Amino acid sequence: MTLLARFGVTAPGWLWLLPLALLPLVATAQRRVPVPSLALVPADGLSRLVDAVLTLAGMAAIGFLVLALAGPRLAGESVARTGEGAQVSLLIDRSGSMNETFAGRQPSGAEESKAAASRRILEAFVGRRAHDLVAVSAFSTSPMAVLPMTDRHEAVRAAIRAIDRPGLEATNVARGLGLALSQFGPGAPQASRVLLLVSDGAAVIDRRVQPLLREEFTKIHPTLYWLFLRTAGSPGLADRPAGEDSPQAAPERHLDLFFKSLGVPYRAFEAENAQAVDEAIREIDRLERKPIAFVERRPQRDLSGLAYGLAALALGLLVAGKLAETDLAGRRPASREAAPGSAQTTRRAA
Amino acid sequence: MTVPKPLPGAVARLLGEPRGRLLACALGLTLLTAVAPRLPVTGRRVEAVVVVDITGSMNTRDETLGGRPASRLDKAKAALRALAADLPCGSRLGLGLFAERRTFLLFEPIDTCADFAALDGAIAGLDWRMGWEGDSRIAAGLFRAVALAGELGSDLVFVTDGHEAPPLPARGGPAFEGKPGAVRGLIVGAGGHVPSPIPRYDDRGREIGFYGPEDVPHENRFGPPPPGAETREGYNPRNAPFGGVATPGTEHLSTVRETYLRGLAAETGLSYAPLDDPAGLAAALTAAATPRPRPVLLDPRPVLGAGALALLSVLFGFLPWRARLAGAVSRLRHGA
Repeated sequence: MTLLARFGVTAPGWLWLLPLALLPLVATAQRRVPVPSLALVPADGLSRLVDAVLTLAGMAAIGFLVLALAGPRLAGESVARTGEGAQVSLLIDRSGSMNETFAGRQPSGAEESKAAASRRILEAFVGRRAHDLVAVSAFSTSPMAVLPMTDRHEAVRAAIRAIDRPGLEATNVARGLGLALSQFGPGAPQASRVLLLVSDGAAVIDRRVQPLLREEFTKIHPTLYWLFLRTAGSPGLADRPAGEDSPQAAPERHLDLFFKSLGVPYRAFEAENAQAVDEAIREIDRLERKPIAFVERRPQRDLSGLAYGLAALALGLLVAGKLAETDLAGRRPASREAAPGSAQTTRRAA
Repeated sequence: MTVPKPLPGAVARLLGEPRGRLLACALGLTLLTAVAPRLPVTGRRVEAVVVVDITGSMNTRDETLGGRPASRLDKAKAALRALAADLPCGSRLGLGLFAERRTFLLFEPIDTCADFAALDGAIAGLDWRMGWEGDSRIAAGLFRAVALAGELGSDLVFVTDGHEAPPLPARGGPAFEGKPGAVRGLIVGAGGHVPSPIPRYDDRGREIGFYGPEDVPHENRFGPPPPGAETREGYNPRNAPFGGVATPGTEHLSTVRETYLRGLAAETGLSYAPLDDPAGLAAALTAAATPRPRPVLLDPRPVLGAGALALLSVLFGFLPWRARLAGAVSRLRHGA
């Protein structure tokens, strides 16, 4: 985008007043000194220059004031910022089963659904890690980028508050992981990166997708935490199924094995109740903090301060002109007598 | 020790003269803009959940963005990012998706100024691939979105092209069960008025052409058949109540269903705005939504700046005009 295309004003109506900037061409702020004839004043280059500068200053003062009132702004601004802490990519399961309790029922009375428990705990987690950059992704049948990496925790909390709304169908963890990894972005390779997966189940990761995910994990090298909200009575990560030990029969166990084979720091927390989840989060909480540089987009840059500044500068010039003004001759009451006759000449001189 | 005399003298002379006073006041007011603090006052701002249709028909490329053809979804994203930037500070926007017949909330309303980067990035990240099912039951989705906005205590911006897939049954769509007007806001119609082909994607997300007339149902055959079905070819009240042949239609092409969306807007108490409104969505939303009192910071600079401008107008406009008038009068009086 060119600079001109990014420029805009908030209140364009003010710009109708811009012709006022032409006024200094026909009038001056300087005091009129009546002289009988302009021929008395010798042609002087410096005086002309001063006159031109003061006229331009008058035009600039009015012009920039009008512009400042219109609220000039530059769209598409980015600012470089530095955060401190870790880059945390939250990947949250929004499949329908998350709305059930840890006992696998619809929540009733004081019972808490898995989604509500993770909402409560993640909110507290984000609150404790005030300096982290957090990105939020969700997944069910398809992955959903909820929030990009941000240090605005108010926004992150707004996204976390949304996770106990009714979820969707299936659990497609592979594409979710791909999205959560892409949230780290290319910058800040020195930052400590954390991928926190919150889910209550797993699905088979397609053999064709596995090498791709493995490659991404090696490249980004995040610390991986899996908060497995296990429904009571369902098989845990270490439980071998009675029959065939295939990814289809025990997807959770095989996802765990896959994570272990990635070569990144990995820890799984099996949480069958809300307290265990709390403990898991506390463990993640003990992560190191490092400075992270990142670029953030701004709605626009307000240029009215600049316009006011330029107007003040022009006004300063005009005031300086006034302060420097002096009479051709000493003050004399006699000048009053000359006034009517010289009005014409004065006007021309001005 | 000698104090330089001319300077105080010059200042005194500056303030001793109307032009000098005007100029000094204008400069003073302009300099004040740099230091004047923002005043905490109660302003009126909007709060809305933006729900974006991400179903297949939104990929139709019949919108323009920067002079180039763009998909409805890309256009919607650009318009929503502009909306987020244009709304005054203190406004709040949330984001949700619509596909199938449901709305999926991504996040609750957040501040459009303080959290702009997050909001802007989230809108930019919207993709049809986030969709969880191919159906596009607009009316059902809209009603759920209205209910969702009601639960959140906010207003609604529902961006869609109004293309119901599968088509509504003959007896019409579902009825709105909420209270019309309880949730206010906008239905934003995306798309052009010329029927355009809908891009088709394979299961890896790659584009593989367009939907043809044989790829989509042109009639909804759930429920009782429409009146007049008995005159169709091959009609049999038990075995073929909709007739014996497939109904031809143009459901594989898509336009913005403006009449339908306006009807839905009237039914739910929302307003309708076209996506390519040159004035932008901010004005339309501000007009349609409930103004909510919110603490905002008032910028005192326009008042100071306008004051300075008024003084300069007097200095360069009114005073010379009066002097000239006085001169002309005196010339006339003296018979010049």
